[in-house]
Order: sequence, then structure tokens, then C-alpha cells
Amino acid sequence: RAGGGPVEWAEWSRLCDGHGPLAVGHCHPLVVQAAHEQNQVLNTNSRYLHDNIVDYAQRLSETLPEELCVFYFLNSGSEANDLALRLARQYTGHQDVVVLDHAYHGHLSSLIDISPYKFRDLDGQKEWVHVAPLPDTYRGLYREDHPSPAAAYASEVERVVRSAQERGRKIAAFFAESLPSVGGQIVPPAGYFSQVAGHIRRAGGLFVADEIQVGFGRVGTHFWAFQLQGQDFVPDIVTMGKSIGNGHPIACVATTQAVAKAFEATGVEYFNTLARCGFFSPLTPCGLPIIFHLWQFGGSPVSCAVGLAVLDVLEKEQLQAHATCVGRFLMELLRQQKAKHAIIGDIRGAGLFIGVDLIKDKATRTPATEEADYLVSRLKENHILLSTDGPGRNVLKFKPPMCFSLDNAQYLVAKLDAILTDMEEMVRSCESLRL
Amino acid sequence: MCELYCKSDTLALRGKHIGPSCKVFFAADPIKIVRAQRQYMYDEKGEQYLDCINNVAHVGHCHPEVVKAALRQMELLNTNSRFLHDNIVEYAKRLAATLPERLSVCYFTNSGSEANDLALRLARQFRGHQDVITLDHAYHGHLSSLIEISPYKFQKGKDVKKEFVHVAPTPDTYRGEYRECHADPASAYANEVKKIIEEAHKRGRKIAAFIAESMQSCGGQIIPPAGYFQKVAAYVHEAGGVFIADEVQVGFGRVGKHFWSFQMHGEDFVPDIVTMGKPMGNGHPMACVVTTREIAEAFSNSGMEYFNTYGGNPVSCAVGLAVLDVIESEDLQGNAMRVGNYLTELLNKQKAKHTLIGNIRGIGLFIGIDLVTDHEKRTPATAEAQHIIYKMKEKGVLLSADGPHRNVLKIKPPMCFTEEDAKFMVDQLDEILTVLEETVGAQAESVIPANTARRAKVRASYFIFRKNMQNFGNLLKGVQISKCTVTIGTKPACSTVGLLLQISAGFRFPKAEPYHWSRKQASVPA
Repeated sequence: RAGGGPVEWAEWSRLCDGHGPLAVGHCHPLVVQAAHEQNQVLNTNSRYLHDNIVDYAQRLSETLPEELCVFYFLNSGSEANDLALRLARQYTGHQDVVVLDHAYHGHLSSLIDISPYKFRDLDGQKEWVHVAPLPDTYRGLYREDHPSPAAAYASEVERVVRSAQERGRKIAAFFAESLPSVGGQIVPPAGYFSQVAGHIRRAGGLFVADEIQVGFGRVGTHFWAFQLQGQDFVPDIVTMGKSIGNGHPIACVATTQAVAKAFEATGVEYFNTLARCGFFSPLTPCGLPIIFHLWQFGGSPVSCAVGLAVLDVLEKEQLQAHATCVGRFLMELLRQQKAKHAIIGDIRGAGLFIGVDLIKDKATRTPATEEADYLVSRLKENHILLSTDGPGRNVLKFKPPMCFSLDNAQYLVAKLDAILTDMEEMVRSCESLRL
Repeated sequence: MCELYCKSDTLALRGKHIGPSCKVFFAADPIKIVRAQRQYMYDEKGEQYLDCINNVAHVGHCHPEVVKAALRQMELLNTNSRFLHDNIVEYAKRLAATLPERLSVCYFTNSGSEANDLALRLARQFRGHQDVITLDHAYHGHLSSLIEISPYKFQKGKDVKKEFVHVAPTPDTYRGEYRECHADPASAYANEVKKIIEEAHKRGRKIAAFIAESMQSCGGQIIPPAGYFQKVAAYVHEAGGVFIADEVQVGFGRVGKHFWSFQMHGEDFVPDIVTMGKPMGNGHPMACVVTTREIAEAFSNSGMEYFNTYGGNPVSCAVGLAVLDVIESEDLQGNAMRVGNYLTELLNKQKAKHTLIGNIRGIGLFIGIDLVTDHEKRTPATAEAQHIIYKMKEKGVLLSADGPHRNVLKIKPPMCFTEEDAKFMVDQLDEILTVLEETVGAQAESVIPANTARRAKVRASYFIFRKNMQNFGNLLKGVQISKCTVTIGTKPACSTVGLLLQISAGFRFPKAEPYHWSRKQASVPA
């Protein structure tokens, strides 16, 4: 069970685990109502005209830069990323993809191929996949003391692109989570995306911003996490999922007219339009209809009603501003904890997307993997759900429902403090025993 | 029902904001559907349409039990499958109970495409083989990995067939290589698969899987001959591969006699992996892969975690359970058998009446009407098919055309389809076919150059005359076509002569009035 009435939500929202794809809180009554009302009236595929899909697309377009005005609706972030890959390849005519190290873009065959987080343990890297270093200014190649980490990391991408081109390969896309989550709650340095986009587009590729984990106001100051990179940066394709439907299986790809038209052209080339499907006449050439791309459930009236309700709640309850406020407060509390507990190496994040990087040693920044695991199980005993990520499984990740309150933040940090203190005490007594 | 936008605005906004590849039905005159109940859909003007194609609304559009189940669960909890919950295990248990015993492990996804992609991954992980044998004209989904194994998609354009994909001829006993007159089409088609495996092995390639829709839908409502799947499975297993039965379109009792279409092939046939989707949630996005413990363990031994954010969530499982309950409580499988048989019978009568119908094939509520312009050559009547579906739409019946030549009218309605609906649908079809055939005759007259007009007139008359004679069950003997006379061989002559006179005079048969739905409309809640 989860959820509750509006007043009780603070109590119920002790779910900090970001794998719950929530935007507005478990079982939000307005979202449930919207789904239920539409379920009673119509739930069919998008081959028929319906207002919900166009209304939803219109509302989404208002949150995005003007160029990103064409939408495809699907059922999962994975489907969205697969489509983004197809769109990019179709538009550019190229095959290769540049990704970030430790990235995760989904569980489909095509996406495991572009997810170093997965393929490193499995089939290995394909020749059409090129991996650039994760722009991690805490643990990566260029750290917080570097004069311009954005440029440095972006030039790594340029190097990767050039190396591919030298081998006769052509870049279709650069794929990146706007805030790499599985890679350890990473916030790329400002300016990185614009510079990377420059290199990629010069190579004839497209920039795909994967907002599946982080879109819909989570970062507080902006609706989309890629907007943290500055107004002058606009990706070519944006994928969204998870929180989009508050748990209902929805996802979406937003792109430009140009990319969409190029994709449509795959159909037009194959067949002739039979738009005038009129009366049969022996003298009229018989064409075949355009083969169209249909996602059976995507863009259904219910899914769109749910998506619209989520947007309404985000607006009505001012959850984006709320994320800024609570996010700042939580970061501040966590920084205080960092000053107090040596195990906390770094606090990073934006809005309600925060990572606490646990280390064994300040100088070497060695991930404190076992400690993180232990901490998470202790928190669970205290009825707080958290999980870890990052290649060292040592980064506590916070991506709670957006209704997470200041009280929740205080409660969480108090518990964290108590457990960390306890852990340090245990270590001290072990050491003194050894002595 | 109040709309947000008028239809033209909806269309305009769609053109502006929805990917242009996402096409609408009846592109020349799209329908705006605002409401649906059971097997009926309603447009913005309240006009009713009989839905003959939406197999996704398996138990009927907006079934109240399914809607209720979703609401109850949505109010309580909707989260991912990393937490223990009863719904997912209960649903897995219920699904497994419908399948042969060895198919006992479920993976829940959100769409048939996701399910098929996972099926491929399971198959490849099992023995480390890569190659896939697929059927010609198959369609398994829209994902990159599935377009590669869907000749329905990749043969149409620039996409080149990948070297790890092998295409076997579709076991179509009407239009394929081995037809209904062949002594043993099942073995003949299965042998084609065997040849493919041998060829692949010669090139050092290893077969991971054979994948087939249990009955091809996009390929034209194809029902493989009995014994085909068993023989293919034997060859594939011998090569170390697995058999994937794609039930995404056709599962959940649609064939009437069985719950799963592959079960038509006999109890001795059990696929290694079954994928299901579409009807599973009556429109709610959900799908599933069911496989053997052996294959599941091999997958997990790879160390790969399979996590699907929404797959197996409590709401989806509650919906899935409700659908299973309704199928059972309303005996929809029995209904599919009864109504399906009745509909097939009616359609066979139409086939005897209309030369445009080349073949009726189907089982339960999965039926195809194969339209041809020539019975011997079986030339697909593509444009006619399109014409018919538009005309049917005008009469309030939704049909679509598929198959590689888009000439097969496909019928796979919600399972609550009634005999009355079947009769109505066939009556409309009959009228349209009749008018079409007449017009073919008249058009043949008008387009032939003047200097052969009289000969053409007689030819057209002969065509209709011959048909009439066939309809009366008489054999045509000794009919000579000359400039202006037709020797009438046998009775009954009167109607035929009358017909000839009518055609000569340029007379047109009166058009039948369309059926009115008013009494049906009254019974549906607003």
C-alpha cells in the first residue's frame, strides 16, 4: 500500500528510492481519477483521432524549446530510447553511437548495446559504439579543481568522434542521460552539453538527451534537466518516461520536424499513398498504403489522460518550486553531515535529484561499497527506502516523489546521521579492540 | 460527450505535434473516436461503428470489471516489481495454469514488442547462438531488434536483411508455394526450414531460435497447416535452437477451441518461449514472456538482471487478472467458437456468391477474407479491398486490410462479438460486393473502345450470365459468344435474359438501404 490523503502524504512519502517512477506521489487521487474516468469511456489505439493525444502533445510542447514540437508516444523509457536510436539513424543515415561510460539507457537488445553499465558484463562493446568518459567532476578524469572540466570532457568526446571517423565510421548520435543516474547521480559541468553537441553535429550526428529519470521538474529550477546546461542548448531528440505517468506505463520521444519528416520518409519511399482510396476503376493504378509505425498502446486516451493529469498536478501543487525548496534544504542538511562524517565524500545534485558519494578515503576517494550497502539495510530497518548506484555501488541516490517534504528531509537526515554515527562508533571500537 | 477540439482542429494539431509516421486509419477520411463500449465505437457525432478489428479490447471496450479492478488497485499501490506483492505472483500463477506445464516462468513487460525483444535475448543467452529463423511477411514489433526479424517491415525498403536472419516461406496454403492441393504442405513447408538450417550450418552459423506468430496477422490471417509447428520444432531443437511462439495477436481464447493458438497443433507441441500482449490487459499496456525453467535459469546465470520499470506492476497485474476472470465468467472462449463458426459459415456463402472472394480462412474469431481479381491466378484485389473497407466504414463497420498485398480483410473483433453483429457485418459486405461487381461490369463497358463495344457488351453479359448460371447451380455448356447473340444453354433463362436486357438498356439495380443502428444506440450509456 502507498499514498494517502493530501495531509497524510508527508507521512506516507518515506519512499526515497528513485526506482519508483513517481512524479507527484503514490496514488495521487487526481491522477487516479483521470485514469478511471477515461478508462470508463475509451481506451484504444492512436489510429483514430482523439483529443487527449493532441492535447497532451500540445501541453508537452509548451514545456520544451520551440524546435522540439513533434511527439511519439510509447509505453516505456526503453521503447522511447530505441525509437530515438532509429530516428537518429534514419535522419543521419549513419549507424554509430557515442555514449558515456557507465550509462544505462534501457533493457532492450539495442539499448544494452549502448549501455556500458550493462554491456561491460555481457557481450562487450560493439564496433559501432564509442564510449566517452563520464563527465564526473568528483571521481572522473577532470575534477573540481580543473580550470574548465566542461571543455576538457567535451574534447574527450571530440577525440572519440575523430577516432571513429578515422576508421571510416559515421556518427548517428550522442546519447546521454541529462543527469547520469546509474553512473552515480552525476551533474555534468555547465557548458558540457553545448560543446559536445557542437562536436557531434559537425560529425553529422544528433544529440539525444535521455530525460527518463530526471524530467518533469525534478531539478527544480527547470522543467527538463538538460535546461540546466543553459538556454542556448537544445537537444535534437529528448526521451522521457518513468515519472511521466506517475507509474502508469507511458513514455515519449520529442523531436524536431526535420527528424520526424525524415522518419516518415521511410514509409513514403516504400509505398505509394492510397490516400484517395476511392472507387475502384480498372484504369487507376493500384498503390499500396503507406506502412505506418504504430505503437499499439502508445498515445492511448487513458495514457494521455494520465499524462495530462500529472502535468496538472505538477502545476497546481507547484511541485517544481517545491523540488527546488526541499532539494536545497536537503542538500544543506547533507552538507552539514558531510562536515561531520568522513565517510561522505561528496554531495551533489539539483532539486530532488541528489547523490551522496560515500568513500573510504578522502585523498583516494575509494568507493565505500560495503559501507553503503550496510547503511542502506540499516535505513530499511528504520523504514526508509534508499538505494545505491554508481560503478562502485557507493552513491546513495535520492530521487523521491516530488511531494517529498521538508519534514521528510529532516527525518531522513536525522536517521542517516544516527546510523553513520553508530557505524563510526563500531569502527572505533573495532580499532580499539585491535589495538 | 464534450470534445476539447472540433475534429478539424484535432486533425490539425495531430499534424503539428504527432510524429507523421503515426498514421490514422482511413487516411482520406479519418474517424474521431470518443467513446467505446463492448464491440462498438462512437465518433464525435455519436455515430456507432461495429468494431471488427480491435483484438486488443479483448473482453470488450471499457469492460466495467476491468475498469473497476484497475481503479481499486490504482488507489492502493502502483509501484515496481522490486518489492514483493501478491498481484504479480497470482497473475503469473493464473497464466501458467493456462499453459503446458513446462512453461512456468513469467517475465512481465509493457508491450508485445518488449516481450518479443526479451524472447530473443532469452533464446540467444540459452546456448549462445545468434541466428534467428523468421517467416516471410512476419511482423514481431517496432523495436530495432524486431524490425530485423520482421520481413513485413524490412523487405519493404532500405533495410537490408541481416546475415543472422533467415527467412522461411510462410506456410500459406492458399497463396504460398505448397497449396491446399499439395499432399502434405506441413512437411513441405517444414522442410524449407530444415533446408535453411542446413545452409546456415554450412556457413558456420548457429540457430538461436525459430520465431513465428502462431497465426500470422499482418501476413494475411495465415493459419499454418497442422503438423507444421511440430516438424519445425524438431528441426530447430536438433540445431540447438528454441521455438518462440508469438501469441501477441492471437492468444487468450481467440481461436475458441483452445486458449492459445499454438495449442491447435496438438498436445504434443509445446513451444519453448511464448510471448503474449495486446489482448492481455484489454487496452492497458502490458505483455509477458513465458518460458521454461531451464531457459530462465540460463538467462539469470548470465549475471544479467532484467528489470523493467513498469512491467509486472500491481495495477497491470490486477487488470490482467480481471481480464482472465471475465474471459471465464462470460465464456468468451465458447462465444468465439460459436460466433466464429457462424461467421465463417456466412462468409463461405458469400464466397460462393461473389467471385471477388478467393478464400475464407480462420478459426474462432480470427478470420481473413482473401480478395482476388482472378480465381485461378489468385491475383490480390488490393484496390478493391481498400474500397471495401472505406465503404464498410460508411456503413458503420470497421474493418482493415492486411497481408503483403493488403488484400485480406481481417476480422479479429472483441470477443463479445455476437451472431447478430456477424450477420450485420456480412449483410453490409454482401451489398458492397454486389454493387462493386455490378460496377465492374458497367465499367468494363465504358472503358472499352467503341469499335469493340458490342463485343465487349456481350462479354460483360457473358460474365454476369455465367455467374448467374453458377448461382443456380447449372453447368454452362455450348455457349457461343458472337457479335450479338448468346446461346442460352440451360434453364433458367428468364432471369438471365432479363439481366441481359437490363445491361443493354444501361439499367442499374437499385442500391440497398443501409442498416440502421438506432435500436443499438439506445442501449448504450451516454
